[in-house]
Amino acid sequence: MSANFRKIDIDQYDEDTLLETELYDLDPRDPATVLADSKQKQSAVRSALAKGDIGSALVTVLDGAPYGPNVEEAKALTLQTLLLILNSTKSTDVPALLRALPAEAHDTLMKYLYKGMAMPGTGEVSGSVLLSWHEKLTEVAGTGCIVRVMTDRRTV
Amino acid sequence: MVRPYLDCNSHALRPYLAAVRSTLTAALTLENFASQVVERHNKPEVEAQSSREVLLNPLVISRNENERVLIEPSVNSVRLSIKIKQADEIERALCAKFMRFMMVRAENFIVLRRKPVPGYDISFLITNSHTETMLKHKIVDFIIQFMEDVDREISEMKLSLNARARVVAETYLTVFG
Repeated sequence: MSANFRKIDIDQYDEDTLLETELYDLDPRDPATVLADSKQKQSAVRSALAKGDIGSALVTVLDGAPYGPNVEEAKALTLQTLLLILNSTKSTDVPALLRALPAEAHDTLMKYLYKGMAMPGTGEVSGSVLLSWHEKLTEVAGTGCIVRVMTDRRTV
Repeated sequence: MVRPYLDCNSHALRPYLAAVRSTLTAALTLENFASQVVERHNKPEVEAQSSREVLLNPLVISRNENERVLIEPSVNSVRLSIKIKQADEIERALCAKFMRFMMVRAENFIVLRRKPVPGYDISFLITNSHTETMLKHKIVDFIIQFMEDVDREISEMKLSLNARARVVAETYLTVFG
């Protein structure tokens, strides 16, 4: 007789099982809107960068960042936009920029820094840029910022 | 608070270790947490993976494609896996032997895991009992010290291996010379 039945995860049929979707509230926007939104933000960021206004570019991209399932394309686009900003910022300007950001933006930025580091072999992602931003952000926002990234289920 | 890392000889290594230090400090907020599935069991949740709600988001800190650290936090345990820089075949072989040497003696290191997580060279498993019996900042210091030393150790071993090979070859070839 086969022992395969022992490998069945019977807990998944329990009505008290916790599902991934119950851990956080889904984004009320629909995936197409989110994607259009991030495309529009990317062009806004490009024009802000052309004017040299990095502060407002950061605020634009970090506000209402896409999260949850089904929006992978929008997430990748937002990450690209953010990396564009990070790469075009002088390292001496970073602390002042970070201090001007609100606390929620700190958390979102930290999420993107970890996401950027988790993507191996992406040509434009430079490890040292992300690491220096990470160090400065930790100085400004503290270890609590990292804890919020670990506990927040709304992954970017 | 992130402490400045002044005693580090390599400049490029410093931000990497600082990032690992702050992330590990953030992850080491552990409490005693009994299993939700089996009564009177108490398992490291990051290993048991029995429920999604007690696992936190895993974080990766990478210096480049070949050097990265994976930190997987959970309510009562943290798993930290290190991918060590291996530039060539010799370093790869030395690293595999060296890590094996340590992992078969894992109980002497207390927080060392006997097997690495797939894709990494060595893993540490820190549970709430470790943070209760040892000082948290000392555990963090140990991991950082380990990461610093292991690179140096492997490059030293590579140098002495090459030196030894040269001496052996010279001695052998004098017979024909």
